[in-house]
Amino acid sequence: MLQYYEPQKDFGTPAVQSESSVNLIVDGVAMSVPAGTSVMRAAALAGIKVPRLCATDSLDTFGSCRVCLVEIAGRKGYPASCTTPVEEGMQVETQTPALASLRRGVMELYISDHPLDCLTCPTNGDCELQDTAGEVGLRDVRYGFAGANHLDAEKDESNPYFTFDPSKCIVCSRCVRACEEIQGTFALTIEGRGFDSKVSAGGKDFIDSECVSCGACVDACPTATLTENSIIATGIPGHTEITTCAYCGVGCGFRAEMRGNTVVRMTPWKDGKANEGHACVKGRFAFGYATHPDRITTPMIRDSIDQPWRVVSWDEAVTFAAQRFRQIQSEYGRNSIGAISSSRCTNEEVYLVQKLVRAGFGNNNIDTCARVCHSPTGYGLKTTLGESAGTQTFASVDEADVILVMGANPTEAHPVFGSRLKRRLRQGAQLIVIDPRKIELVDAPHIRADYHLPVNPGANVAVLNALAHVILTENLQDQAFIDQRCEADAFKEWCEFIRAAHNSPEALADATGVDPQALRAAARLYANAGNAAIYYGLGVTEHSQGSTAVMGIANLAMLTGNLGREGVGVNPLRGQNNVQGACDMGSFPHELPGYRHLMDAATRAIFEDDWHVELDPEPGMRIPNMFDAAVDGEFRGLYCQGEDVAQSDPNTQHVQAALRSLDCLVVQDIFLNETAKFAHVFLPGASFLEKDGTFINAERRISRVRKVMPSLSGKADWEATLAFANALGCEMSYEHPAQIMDEIARLTPAFAGVSYALLDEQGSVQWPCNASSPKGTPTMHVDSFVRGQGYFAVTEYVPTDERANRRFPLLLTTGRILSQYNVGAQTRRTDNTLWHQEDLLEIHAHDAQERGIDDGDWVGIQSRTGSTVLRAAISSRVKPGVVYTTFHHPLSGTNVVTTENSDWATNCPEYKVTAVQASKVSEPSAWQARQQQFDQRQRQLLSGATVDG
Amino acid sequence: MTRRQSEQSEHLVKMANQIALNFGEQRDLKQAAQHTGEHLDRFWTRAMREQLSAYAASGGAQLSPAVRLLFSVE
Repeated sequence: MLQYYEPQKDFGTPAVQSESSVNLIVDGVAMSVPAGTSVMRAAALAGIKVPRLCATDSLDTFGSCRVCLVEIAGRKGYPASCTTPVEEGMQVETQTPALASLRRGVMELYISDHPLDCLTCPTNGDCELQDTAGEVGLRDVRYGFAGANHLDAEKDESNPYFTFDPSKCIVCSRCVRACEEIQGTFALTIEGRGFDSKVSAGGKDFIDSECVSCGACVDACPTATLTENSIIATGIPGHTEITTCAYCGVGCGFRAEMRGNTVVRMTPWKDGKANEGHACVKGRFAFGYATHPDRITTPMIRDSIDQPWRVVSWDEAVTFAAQRFRQIQSEYGRNSIGAISSSRCTNEEVYLVQKLVRAGFGNNNIDTCARVCHSPTGYGLKTTLGESAGTQTFASVDEADVILVMGANPTEAHPVFGSRLKRRLRQGAQLIVIDPRKIELVDAPHIRADYHLPVNPGANVAVLNALAHVILTENLQDQAFIDQRCEADAFKEWCEFIRAAHNSPEALADATGVDPQALRAAARLYANAGNAAIYYGLGVTEHSQGSTAVMGIANLAMLTGNLGREGVGVNPLRGQNNVQGACDMGSFPHELPGYRHLMDAATRAIFEDDWHVELDPEPGMRIPNMFDAAVDGEFRGLYCQGEDVAQSDPNTQHVQAALRSLDCLVVQDIFLNETAKFAHVFLPGASFLEKDGTFINAERRISRVRKVMPSLSGKADWEATLAFANALGCEMSYEHPAQIMDEIARLTPAFAGVSYALLDEQGSVQWPCNASSPKGTPTMHVDSFVRGQGYFAVTEYVPTDERANRRFPLLLTTGRILSQYNVGAQTRRTDNTLWHQEDLLEIHAHDAQERGIDDGDWVGIQSRTGSTVLRAAISSRVKPGVVYTTFHHPLSGTNVVTTENSDWATNCPEYKVTAVQASKVSEPSAWQARQQQFDQRQRQLLSGATVDG
Repeated sequence: MTRRQSEQSEHLVKMANQIALNFGEQRDLKQAAQHTGEHLDRFWTRAMREQLSAYAASGGAQLSPAVRLLFSVE
């Protein structure tokens, strides 16, 4: 049942945390509120709205509009309720004749410089100025428009997602404050004085300014000055539904605001615990891909990839796929088929895919995209702490005194958390950044890293060992924590290792490229902090020693006692929205849901009893194993749900050869992605707006995904898997994803207490959620580690084989940017392309000059694996010897260059280190030319799709 | 052995050697061999283990000391 539209509650000023409370009376209503609360908020908590314009509870109080005046017994004048804190025994009146007169007078002044076009205004019905005029009983404006005014001020329509109409601005500064306080970008300001005051994006159009299009200003605007273009085009929403963003691992809660079945606005949910009312340019604005004309909404099949597609019914498609898969197994054996599940799908969907593989295919050839991102996190944290997950809530950073960011770029890849982190830094927390690049956090408005350690790509473990060496040799460790919480023998062995001279910052300086004195100072800062928290990303995991680096991070946190409470911890920033969930759901080939190894007969028995099938105890193939076996002709059938391995995985030419070798590739996706161009069966996918389910974010937070519009293909993804399973004879029967979650809860101890009813009641919960923690577990390892005692793993630094040499003298490292998401299949089909039309090669001026490369030149990049061509962007973010690019566009061929080197423990690819040469060129690479032809051919085959009958 | 089989073996050998090195082959050979064996059992497919074992049985020229010890290669 859909809810009908109403704005989110706004109490006027932010909540205050206080142990003491204050009693007061507002309009005759007695109440008790936390000390420090504003009179405005106290009144709102009692259901009494004081008219206001410049106040909103997402921003600090400002006190400029003078509308929220009240009378307080025993006080002279009319104080502003937003800036007046409550006091014991205070008696407040919010509605008196004097107040009414004052408020009307103030409103008259506002309205005298505001167009009276409410009926044709895009926010008619959703305008606080309009509401306030009504609340104060404004009936007449004595001042006409004859005098000076701003009614003809020119609109700024440069941003694709919102319009700035200064004629409607009341200069309340809410937008400016939102940009500063919430987003932390400081792109907006009030320019001029008095009557000339106006909101300005630094004197530029929004699109050319430093604005990052997070939309916080639009959300904060009480008038139609800053309005979403979708609202201007279609009108205000009629009803809303709470759901969860399908982009990064922050997992923001959103209100999908609808007119009929059309999303007209995505508004960050104030009660969403991951984002608390904030959003980024992707989650808030880039939802148009869901209804893009490129969507494929009908199943299709073909016998070979050089044939046109044939549009068929769901039944025919899944029957075709099932027959092919069974035929392959009968000819080549049970292990000749497998599946890849996606972090872009819900928990219920990835759970079903792994169940299909184990129970239906009869093997364990199931893997997921976490293989190429955070699989080392799973291995490293399980080994050291006992659980494959981050330890904190995002809100925990508010208690951190020192924050260490390693191999992560939160302001680009996890922007909503990035804003929260920046806010904490502005409050005074200190910052250490370990990254080869000078990421934004190193030097941003009102933020400067205390230490930036520009580590050489591939030397993370050396840096972590050197940090630990300094802490231990300078006796800065938390010995009491170690003695109480960690394995003594392992700690002793680790101490002997880490104390050795070869782990000193000086001995490792050549390898790390980091100034030993800066490293020592950073180690001291981290160790001596009251609360020190580590946040890390793919710059840690995507290395040949990714798992070792994760263990090194856990070692540092244990060494300094920075685990088990607020403000500390080990926090992997997950790339995609449901990476954590996909891993939790048993998507790895060696373990069942809840990270339980297949070799454990007792665990197998639980699933065997429930699924009525015998399970293979042998680990299945990882994704790279599948590709190798496909090239060798031993692996011939693949079901790929929601992943685009042909673009995202390393050594593209090898991946393409593997896909081309398959007898049957079944791709389930919303678009004909790069992988689907090699497919024989296409099952149309559903966007996150078209299905029910859950996602789990980087905090282990399970949040509901809710269907807000009908599936364009007629099936949600879980229903497609169900149909495929049943066609294979693997009988499954579910009416709703809630039943799948019930099964997950029944079989997985950490999820035992999870149900849709609980999620609806709580909004979201963090696992473990069971009898011991019925409402979830915000902070892990509080009294003891999940594994019992913490384990200090010895983390010997083993340099990667991928080293710069005379032939390939530069090290390429890859990453992401704010406006695009992963392979770009979604964001490239939105106006986000305005900010990133192509992947660029960032190169330092020194390296560029040596090669005669100018900004914007075509540059050929060669590695031992392949070559591609990108435009150059001369940048001081990279140091000499290092080049950087992204992989958001398929024809960039970024992964044609990356190699098959991988993490020793998990085979997570070493995307972050590829030795390359760069040179000025004049034409695309041979691969790009071939790929363009292949792409055109596949598009022709798609447009030539035939319909039977 | 075909060229592709040879490449495949080379790849497995590289991965196994990498695992042994990260399990501290240079500090404690016996322990590294044991941990490497456990790791292969837990994460590698039977086919990959058998292929590596066959390579070891054929002399295992490129295997690192801990992996040689694991497969009892003289």
